Formats: sequence, C-alpha cells, structure tokens
Amino acid sequence: MLDRLFYEDKGVLLQNLHSVTILGYLAVLFALALLFSHPLYLAGIFLISALAVVTAEVLEKWEFYLKAGLWMALLIMVINPLVFHAGKTILWRSPTLPLLGNVSICLEAICYGAAMGIRLLAVLTIFCLAAAVVHPDKFLSLFSRFAYKSALVVSLATRMLPAAARDLANAREMLQLRGVDYGAGNLKERLKKYSWLLDLLLLSSLEGALQIAEAMQARAFGTGPRSCYRRELRRPRDLLCFTACCFALVFSCYAKAKGYGDYNYYPQLGVLVPHPASLILLGIILGSLALPLVLNWGWKHWPYLRSKI
Amino acid sequence: MALFEIENLTYFYPESDAPALENINLRIEEGELLLIAGGSGSGKSSLARLLAGLIPGFYGGKLAGRVLFRGKKLSELGPRLLNTQVGIVFQDPEQQLVMTTVEAEIAFGLENLGLPQGEMFRRLSEVMSFLGLTSLKQEFTANLSGGQKQKVALAAVLAMNPRVLILDEPTSQLDPLAADEFFHLVERLNKEMGYTVVLIEQRLERCFHLADRLAVMEKGKILRSGPVKEVARWEVENSLPFIPPVAKFFATLRIPSLPLTVKEGRKELKRLYSGLPALRKDQPRHHHLLPVQETRQGPGVVELKNVWFTYPNGKEALKGVTLRVNKGEFAVVIGENAAGKSTLLKQMVGILKPGRGRVLVMGKDTRTLSLPELARHVGYLAQNPNTCLFQDTVEEELRFILDNLGLEDGGMIDAVLKKLGIIQYRKTNPRDLSSGERQRVALAALLVAKPTLLILDEPTRGIDYRLKKDLGCFLAGLAKEGLTVVMVTHDMEFAAEYAERIIMMFDGRIVSDGSKHEVLGDSLFYAPQMTRLFKDFAEGVLTVREGIEKISANGDFGPCLATKGSL
Amino acid sequence: MSGNKGKSLAVFLIFAVILVGMLIAGMWEKNWSFLAVTILFAALTFLYLDFERGSVSSREIGLIAVLGTMAAVARVPFAALPNIQPTTFMVIVSGFVFGPRAGFMVGSTAAVVSNFFLGQGPWTPWQMLAWGLAGITAGVVRTFRPRIGSAGMVLFCFTWGYLFGWIMNLWFWTAFIHPLNWKSFLAAYAASFWFDTLHALGNAGFYLVFGSRIIKVLERFQKKLKFTLVENTNG
Repeated sequence: MLDRLFYEDKGVLLQNLHSVTILGYLAVLFALALLFSHPLYLAGIFLISALAVVTAEVLEKWEFYLKAGLWMALLIMVINPLVFHAGKTILWRSPTLPLLGNVSICLEAICYGAAMGIRLLAVLTIFCLAAAVVHPDKFLSLFSRFAYKSALVVSLATRMLPAAARDLANAREMLQLRGVDYGAGNLKERLKKYSWLLDLLLLSSLEGALQIAEAMQARAFGTGPRSCYRRELRRPRDLLCFTACCFALVFSCYAKAKGYGDYNYYPQLGVLVPHPASLILLGIILGSLALPLVLNWGWKHWPYLRSKI
Repeated sequence: MALFEIENLTYFYPESDAPALENINLRIEEGELLLIAGGSGSGKSSLARLLAGLIPGFYGGKLAGRVLFRGKKLSELGPRLLNTQVGIVFQDPEQQLVMTTVEAEIAFGLENLGLPQGEMFRRLSEVMSFLGLTSLKQEFTANLSGGQKQKVALAAVLAMNPRVLILDEPTSQLDPLAADEFFHLVERLNKEMGYTVVLIEQRLERCFHLADRLAVMEKGKILRSGPVKEVARWEVENSLPFIPPVAKFFATLRIPSLPLTVKEGRKELKRLYSGLPALRKDQPRHHHLLPVQETRQGPGVVELKNVWFTYPNGKEALKGVTLRVNKGEFAVVIGENAAGKSTLLKQMVGILKPGRGRVLVMGKDTRTLSLPELARHVGYLAQNPNTCLFQDTVEEELRFILDNLGLEDGGMIDAVLKKLGIIQYRKTNPRDLSSGERQRVALAALLVAKPTLLILDEPTRGIDYRLKKDLGCFLAGLAKEGLTVVMVTHDMEFAAEYAERIIMMFDGRIVSDGSKHEVLGDSLFYAPQMTRLFKDFAEGVLTVREGIEKISANGDFGPCLATKGSL
Repeated sequence: MSGNKGKSLAVFLIFAVILVGMLIAGMWEKNWSFLAVTILFAALTFLYLDFERGSVSSREIGLIAVLGTMAAVARVPFAALPNIQPTTFMVIVSGFVFGPRAGFMVGSTAAVVSNFFLGQGPWTPWQMLAWGLAGITAGVVRTFRPRIGSAGMVLFCFTWGYLFGWIMNLWFWTAFIHPLNWKSFLAAYAASFWFDTLHALGNAGFYLVFGSRIIKVLERFQKKLKFTLVENTNG
C-alpha cells in the first residue's frame, strides 16, 4: 500500500503543465468550491472537476474518493436537517425525542445539506485530480525555492517510505518466524507485539539517519548559499491555461460581488436564477475552466495541436 | 607530488578508546586505481571517510598526523572545495539518495554548491548520457533497483566534477550482474576518463585485475601496500584470505608472472599442461528436471510437491517446483534475480503458502501449520540481520525466541553462544557489535530453538572472505551434525567451497539440481573462477584446493604440494 | 545572493498579502469554512517558516525525515485493530524528546508523505496541523514539566486521541454544516466519538507498553546528534 506512489504517469496534458500553472488551476477550482454557495455554481465546479478527472484518466482512483465522499455527504445531509429547524417549509415534525427535543425537518435544511454534499464531492474530486496529476517532485521543487529545508525533509521521507514499508513487512514476518502470533492475546498484548515491530524498525532506521546525513554532507550540503535547479519548461499551453484561470477568477469575483454566486437557503429557499446574467457568468467561468480540458483532448487526438502548444 | 599523502595518521572516533586508524602512512598517486582490501572492522571505511573529509568533518573525534591533498592540508581546503575535489559513493544504496526523482537527485549536490542554472543543466545532461540514465530521468528514486540506485549515486557524485572517486564497497548490496556493470563503469572512469579511484571491496574476484596497487588493512593499520601482484604473493605467504581464487592459485604455485584473470591464467595453464588436451565432444548430461528424490534415500525434512505460486500482483513466481531436501543436507539455491529463489525459501518457511501443490515440513503440510508452530522446526535468517535484532543484550535476544516458543533454556543459550564464539558478548547490546558478529547473534537466536531445518537468505552478501569462511565451515559443520541447511546465494565461490548440493533456478523453475560438481562443473556462466580456469584442461575443479590437487596429479608440478598446508 | 533574498522576500510579501486578503474576505463574508482554511494555511506557513529560519544540521534533517517516515509507515493497519495506529504516539514521543520544532516537522511530514501514497485530500493540511500540534505540545510539555512521569504522558497521549479527531472534524464542520453552533458541533463530533475513543485508547496503550523504552532509545540517539569537536594533537 505504501510502496507505490499515488501518482502515475499517464502522459496526459494536465501532467505536462508547468507546476505553477497546474497548481494555480487546482487552487482556483478549490477556492471557487469554497466561495460559492449557489447550487448551480457548485454543481458547475463539480462538473468541471469530474470532467478533469476523466480527461486525466484516473477514474479508478476517483472511486476511492467518491466512496469516502458519499459516506460523508450522507452525514452532512443527515446532520443539517437535524440541527437546523428554522426553515419555513416544515416537512415533518417529530414527537418529543430524548436529548434532541422536538425535531422538525425542513426543506431548506435538506436542500442546504444536498448543496453541501455537492461541495464536498467537488472538493474531494479536486484533490483527487491534484494527487493524480501533480508529481510529488513537482510540488516539492516549487516549495524548495523558498523553504528548501522543509522540502528536503519531505522529499527524503517520501523517498524512504517505500523501503520502510517493506522493512515493516519483513520485520513482521521475521517476528512471526520467531514464534510471535499477532492474532492472539488481549489488546495490551497485541499492542506489545506491535511495539516490537516499531522497535525493530526504529533501531534500524535511526542508524540510517546518520548515513543519510553523511551522504548529504559528502555532497556539499550546508557548505554555503545554494542555488535552485529549475527543470520545468514554459510552453504556450501554460500561458493559455494560466490566462484561462485568471479569467475564471476575475469573473468569479465579479459574480460573487454581484451576489450571483450566493444563494439564500434560509429561512426560505431563494430564487434559483435571479437574473439571466447569473447564468451567463456561470457559463463564462465554466468555459474558461474547461479550456485546459479541451486542450488536453486536442493534445491527445491532434498531433498538430501538440506541436503548436 | 602525490595526490594524497597521509602521514603518521591515528584517529579515534568520539568516545572510543581504541583507534579506528593507527599510524597510517599512504600515498595515492594521480590517476591510479588503489584497491583496499581487509576484513570488516579493519578500518577500510574509516580510511575512505578520512580521504573524503568526513573524518573529522562529520564524525568529530581525535586525530593525530596529517592528510595532504596536493600538498595542502585537507582541513585547510574548506568543505566546498573539498567536496568538488573528492567524491564518495557509499555501501548502502538505500541510504544515500535524498530526492524523489533521478534528475533532482543528481542536481542536489550542484544546488548545494550554488552553481548557476546553465552549468547545472550542462553537467546533468552530460552525466546522465554518460551513465545511460536519461530514460530514468523522471523515475521515482525509491522504485529503482539496487544497481540503478548505485549508478544514480555515482552520477550525483560525478556531476560535482571531482578529481578523486572514493568507492566504499559500492557493490556489496548488489547482485553479480549489477556489480559487474558497476565495475565496468569504474574501469572506464579510471582508464578512459583519468579519474583517480580508491576502491574498497570485498568481491575481489571482480576487481582485482583493475587495480594498480593494493593495500591490505587490518585492525586500523595498513599491513602492506604496493603493486597488486607483489601484495598478492605476500598475502599467500602470510595466509591472508583477501585474494581471489585465480590469483591465490597461481600465487600458491609460485608462478612468477602471477596471472590475475581467467584469460591470463589459461595462458599459463596451457604452458603448464603443454597445450590444450585433444578435442572431445561435449556430452550432454542428463539433468534431473524432475524427481531427484527417487535417487536419494533418507527422510525428507522439507518436501515440495509440484508447487505453483502466484503473487497477488499477478506475478507467477513458482511454476511446478518439486524438490526434496533430506536430513543433514547442505543445499544452496542459485539463480538470477527474480528467478524465484526467495519465494522458494518463503514457501519452505511457511510465510507463503502454495497456490497449487503441497509443501511438507517434517511430513506436515504447511497449510495446516501456523507460523509459530512452524517456527519450532524451521529457523529463517533474513538477508539483513539488522531486521531481527532489537533486544538490549545478546542473551535477551536468544531468550526472546525461547519465551515465544515456550521452551526452557536448559543451558542451550550458553551452548549456542559458545559454539558460535560469541559468549563474551553475552551482555553486550547487539547493535554495538560488528556486522559479522550481528549475523552470528541472529544465527544463534535461531539455533537456540533447536530447529531441524535452517534457511538462510543470502547470508554471504556484503561480508568479507574471512567471515565467509567462518560461516561456511560453521554451516557445513551443522549439516554434519544432522541439521538441514538450505540457503540462497549469488556467491558461486562460496557455494563451490562449502555446499554439497546445488539447486539452480530460472524463471520459477528448477533447471538443475544435483551435487555441486555436477551442477557447477557443468555450468556455462555460474561456474566459479577456478572451473572457468580449468575448463577443457580438467574436470571437477571448483576450488583452489581442487585445482592444486589436479595440477599436482598431473605430475609436472610437484613442488606446489609443499605449500598445500597453508590453504 | 541579495537578489535571491529579495526574491524570497517578495514571494513572502505576496503570500502575506494573499493571506490577509483571504482573512478579510472570509470575515466580511462570514464564510467560516473559507476563514478556517485561511487560518489553517497561515498557521502551517508560520510553523514551516519557523523551521526554515532555524539552523538545522544534516543530522537533524536525517533524523526528522526518518522519524517522519516511521510515523507515516505506522499508518499501515495492523492485525485487525481499527484506528489503532501508533502514528500519533510516534509524533508525540519525537516531540517530547527532540523538542517542539522537530515534533512539528515529524508530525506534518508524516501526514503529507503518507498521503503521497494513500491519496491527498482536503484532510491532508488538517492532518499536518493536527499531528504537527501534537508534536509541538509534546515538546512544550517537556520544557515546562520535564519530569511529567509516565501517568501524565499516558493521559497526554490519551487526550490527543480526541484532540486529533476534533481538529480533523473542524474542516468538515465549518465547511458543510449550518448553522455553526454548539448543537451542530456536538452532532458532528458525536459521529466520530467511537473512532476517536479507539484512537485515544490506542495512544495511551502504546505509551504504556512502549513509551519509556522508545524514549530511552531516542535519547540515546540524541547524543549522537551532537558533534564532538576535533582535537588535532599535532600539525
């Protein structure tokens, strides 16, 4: 489980963008998912991120996120109506319950719960996308420019984790072969057996810590000011996608300022489309957010475009 | 002026009373390849760290004497200049890479030197092309094989443009193929690129002939240094083991030209035998692909009956393996990487259960036994003894397994520790022992439970000639006493010397199984050095001793018998 | 190199402006989830900057990375014990022995690194903060109560089982529940009560059976972090 990176190289455009571009794109998606509360806007963001997951060819990984998400979405839809009763449209009024008192389930809270469920799924999808298209190294190399010690710690640990996971499995087998039965005993005895594993692993990895430090020192670590190796290329596609992101962000701020991105759930559901401009704005925002996905499609199917961007 | 000059150097690690290096005097000339041999704990690694400035720069401690690099004191060079002049590659490929991709890894040292972007890019591209790493550029470093990791470590050092390369047992954790590839690189770097190389190695048969000079170390001192052949002769005279078979053979025979490679050696043999024997047709021997056990008597300690095994990831690792190992046998499993050797061992131990077929240990199906039950019969020593030692004293380590299996001590702990010669460490923390001693502790922890079957996964990896000899004799002795020993090794010289039965695997199947003379004597590429030397001259030669016997029987070369005792 | 410094100062300033902007936007809009995320990122930035500004040797970097790896690998489930993972325990003892700064780095590294393999999610930064804080507080406990004793530490580990769950619930609560009041808070936290209890019991249990031993091992190692000065006896 811990021996293979979540990231896999699929050779799609989204994996071949400059790290600033792709992280910017993801950040805009994420911020919009948190800023908007209008159900249509939220659904739009969810749609775009779902399409992005499809174009990034990571459907099987999305499943894991959706499973976790649906459970939480359910919880949201249950908790919201249970704790908020001030809605105007009461659907059902419970008899007096212990602890909770009179619970009245109102339409507004259910709708709010549903919208929040969509927001949750959108956020999870965006993270799934991020994990699938941003190589840890891309992420770390960006951060190493202004926080290189932290980035170094993280990259070192990332590099060591698969080996540690293997060592753990080996140590586990070794102890079993020395007569340790993990399944037997009460909680305390089991914890004790687990702690032997940790002990074994810790003792051997601490020795490794010094060797690693020595290897770093032998390669001039900490001998003076350092520079930063940049290996990423800027291509027209980065400019295109970045511009599209800025475009989407500007129009989103405008929509937010105009109040189109918000929606009144309480005390009574508001009008879904107060002004046609709200839909037009949404179209513009989604359109510009979809640009990288369209490029991704064209990049894959149209060699001419590939050579141009 | 020599490149390095070490004068009267003595060094103590912090909080240590015994010197790690004692009165070292050594000159290293520009452009030479200096090979340093010696047992573990002889101070070889300390010397490497001294040359790279890590002693005292990283370790601290007490130092007397001086080290000059091109006439300047090492301590006056400053770390940055030193790091660009001297590069070091360490033993363990797992513990010297720091970044997540190959490209970032190679760039790490250059970033630390603060080089400008263009310079970094040029050096990276050159180094990656030279070492053939371009296709691995974006690869996650943790997913590389051991050989690739060492190559990346070498690349990362080369990119810093050093003049001297210090290689501290760079191949000890690699399989033979990857090790050969690494040595080829070292040879090119030394011969074609003019790098000065200081090579510390245990696998001398692969690099002895590359060296210009040889230094032998013991207990922190340099016993002797000089041209390879001269030191080799001196080693044989003084019965030191750090010399590969072919060189040892000819040095024992006191052949003046002292061939170091099989090629040179065969020339010399041709002279001794006055030409090649007459041409014979190769007789294809019947290989026992199937039941060997029909021919063997006695109760089987472990038996595999048509075992097939597929890992959850879909890799089919065993394809119809049938095998029986009898009581008191010493069997060695050989084969390339991923041939299914370790899977085979894990089946015998019961960590893995067969997909199809049956594995019987002491007549009982492993599927019906739990691991703790199996642990009473089977002792398993993993590759790295570090992964099984965690108690505070050696004694507790042994008591741990007794307690787990519900066995009484009854003097067993004392007996086993005595037998392995580590009784004096009874109260010592195993972590404070040397690697060879740790391995013995791990072995003791298995033997204390009186297993009937002992299984070892590459116990010879990374240990020196002397420890190998001790281990081999010990295991052969155990087998004589009736314990069944099965081990995996890549070390053909070891197998040739101590095993009685060899099982060769390829792609999940057993391709050859028989006595060591049958299997190794006939082998095309797994043959030990001496077999390759004697090919077509004489049959049945696996070891130096057998070679000397053969050639003395030939009659032309009587005098060598006198030196046989020193083997 | 002053250009480089200027550049990083500029990056820092831009970052600060964005953060302040987000804070104001969040407060003005009363968008609590946005505000919570902003505060989270501000906290993480501050803590990482603190680590960057301090001086660390290569040995300390190696050590922190190794401990972070250990804590991350401890997330592998063990023998059918749900939510009993020694990650929090590992982070706490690391912080206790090596101090708040190292404790934070071990905890946050464990979170981000394990998620490179398991899958990053909105939970990652919260885990970074939660485990990071566990490490920090453990270090702070050491400074103020060096002789806290085993019972105190068991209680401390037990408490962090709940605290961890509560911090993790924050993002869920602020982003998806309305209104944010005691009632909804309790409802959200009731949902994870058993989960958190198991976590707390596991932490306390690990400290009981293994705490003093691991602290001894780490303290023995701590001595190796110090660099012994060279005495060069001649020339």
